Amino acid sequence: MTMHDVVEVPRDPVVEARGLTKSFGDVRAVMDVSFTVGAGQIVGVLGPNGAGKTTTIKMLTTLVSIDAGSAGVGGYDVGHQPDVVRQLIGVAGQAAAVDEKLTARENLELFGRLYKLPRAQRRGRTETLIRQFDMAEFADRPAETYSGGQRRRLDVVAALVADPPALFLDEPTAGLDPRSRSELWNAIRGLADQGTAIVLTTQYLEEADQLADHILLIDHGRIVAQGTPAELKKDVERDVLEIRLLDTAAIDTAVDTAIEAIGADVEMAVDRRERKLSIPVGADPARSLTLLTHMRDTGIPISDFQLRRPTLDDVFLALTGARESEPTDGAPVPGPPRRRNRP
Amino acid sequence: MTEQVTTMTRPLGLVVDPSPVLATRRAIHDTTSVLWRDTIRTLRQPDMLAFAVVMGVFFLVLFNYVFGGSIGAGANIDYLTYLVPGVLVITALQGAQQTSMGLAADLTEGVIDRFKSLPMSQGAVIAGRTLADALRNVVSLTLVCLVAIPMGYRFSSVSGAVAAILLATALGFGVSWMGAAIAARVRRPDAVGMLSMFWLFPMMLASTAFAPAETMPGWLQPFVRYQPVSTASDAVRGLANGTGAGDAILLTLGWLALLLVVFIPLSVSLYRKDV
Repeated sequence: MTMHDVVEVPRDPVVEARGLTKSFGDVRAVMDVSFTVGAGQIVGVLGPNGAGKTTTIKMLTTLVSIDAGSAGVGGYDVGHQPDVVRQLIGVAGQAAAVDEKLTARENLELFGRLYKLPRAQRRGRTETLIRQFDMAEFADRPAETYSGGQRRRLDVVAALVADPPALFLDEPTAGLDPRSRSELWNAIRGLADQGTAIVLTTQYLEEADQLADHILLIDHGRIVAQGTPAELKKDVERDVLEIRLLDTAAIDTAVDTAIEAIGADVEMAVDRRERKLSIPVGADPARSLTLLTHMRDTGIPISDFQLRRPTLDDVFLALTGARESEPTDGAPVPGPPRRRNRP
Repeated sequence: MTEQVTTMTRPLGLVVDPSPVLATRRAIHDTTSVLWRDTIRTLRQPDMLAFAVVMGVFFLVLFNYVFGGSIGAGANIDYLTYLVPGVLVITALQGAQQTSMGLAADLTEGVIDRFKSLPMSQGAVIAGRTLADALRNVVSLTLVCLVAIPMGYRFSSVSGAVAAILLATALGFGVSWMGAAIAARVRRPDAVGMLSMFWLFPMMLASTAFAPAETMPGWLQPFVRYQPVSTASDAVRGLANGTGAGDAILLTLGWLALLLVVFIPLSVSLYRKDV
């Protein structure tokens, strides 16, 4: 007896979002989000809390309705054929959990049944996953007794029961210790290597940097930047020269000197308490040299300086409008006009 | 892996437009899967079962020894014989209230989102639950019967006892779909608990479960005689005591059908709504 009657082949791209939009009352949770995920590709959706990451995942996985736009998985429309789409996806993380009262083995058995895996295949798959993810030690205890790391592992494994071609991981490593995190990263890379299309949301820049082939940076429900990790870093196209002064009194002079040296058209951050100037100097090392030389000639007492390469943090902060180091005394930063980097 | 894969095979195949037969088979499969899950949960939390049995025994002892003398004398009946079938229906009704509370608690858990993302019949989550609660009711009703016997109660026959337990459970099953609809609409376990007082107490007390309708004021009698708990009490009484209750059985089955026709689609559509 089989529970399946038709054999179809999902096409590439496996996941496609076209102008996804969702409001909750007056709150626009997601606005016009479009992207595609090919087989074996990992797309990282990166953004702060409340940026719309979970809502995006929930729309793609049929958990909430789509207000405008559309989405497809394996060529099937999420809005019109949710029952087909659900056969092609696995969901883990914030968006979907497991049964607390059931053991890991029972949870996997239950989900295997609901995916209509034949009994032998279901049993085999459960045992394979338990072994592969090193869960044997706690597989027969109810999930409510698990540690954070054990819970996360079961969450992710639960999404893998039917070996779905599209996997949605909503902050899969939130709250994990570094060792569990890197184990899970390896597992996720392994799945992509086998051809699974993966959408992964995260607040961790490092996680997106490590795992994603393509990153969507979202803020207030909109995509504010996207590209490969390297492209995004290049977008920022600037090294940052951090200069620490010996003396708070010299800060204003230092700011004036810096403007004299490299011009007023620079977004400079001043941290008075730390006596620190962070000055974007572009990719040209000569600029840093000019600046430092000028400061020495003006007699500004420098205690320390370093040249910092752009990290995804810089991209993130530049594009989401957050400030890396607000002046702690609340005074407006004198001198240079602020250049908004928002597209 | 950067190589572009243009097709991929899926060993399971896909169900795209299932025939009604296949869709039904899949829905039954899903319901039995959820039933399995909820039965494990019931066994792991025996307090719900214990609570239902204790409440049943509580009503049995309280009404028989406290009110039994006056109600029995007033209506000129053997009160224990009258009471036990009523308590079976009341116990089944308590079980239905537990469906409401239990489902509301369930809906706050993340596993419900997982269910919604799975290729399963969405009604199966509630159907599995109401069926698991009906099974639990069979057990708790049997335990209540086992307490009634040492108190001096006698069923007219074993088949009568079985039929009585099954009919009470059937009504409880119908009412549990109503409880499920309330839970799916309200979703907050505390609010669902408060709300259940409003339907549970009138249905329970303004009925022929504990006292004959003749002793009540005339304006109340039509409601009392024909509301589902009363028709079920009369029917279960007829089956358990061997006194016959054809009309009451039919009326009860009618109530059951009505509850299912209204509340199955309603609870499933409320469950599917975005929150």
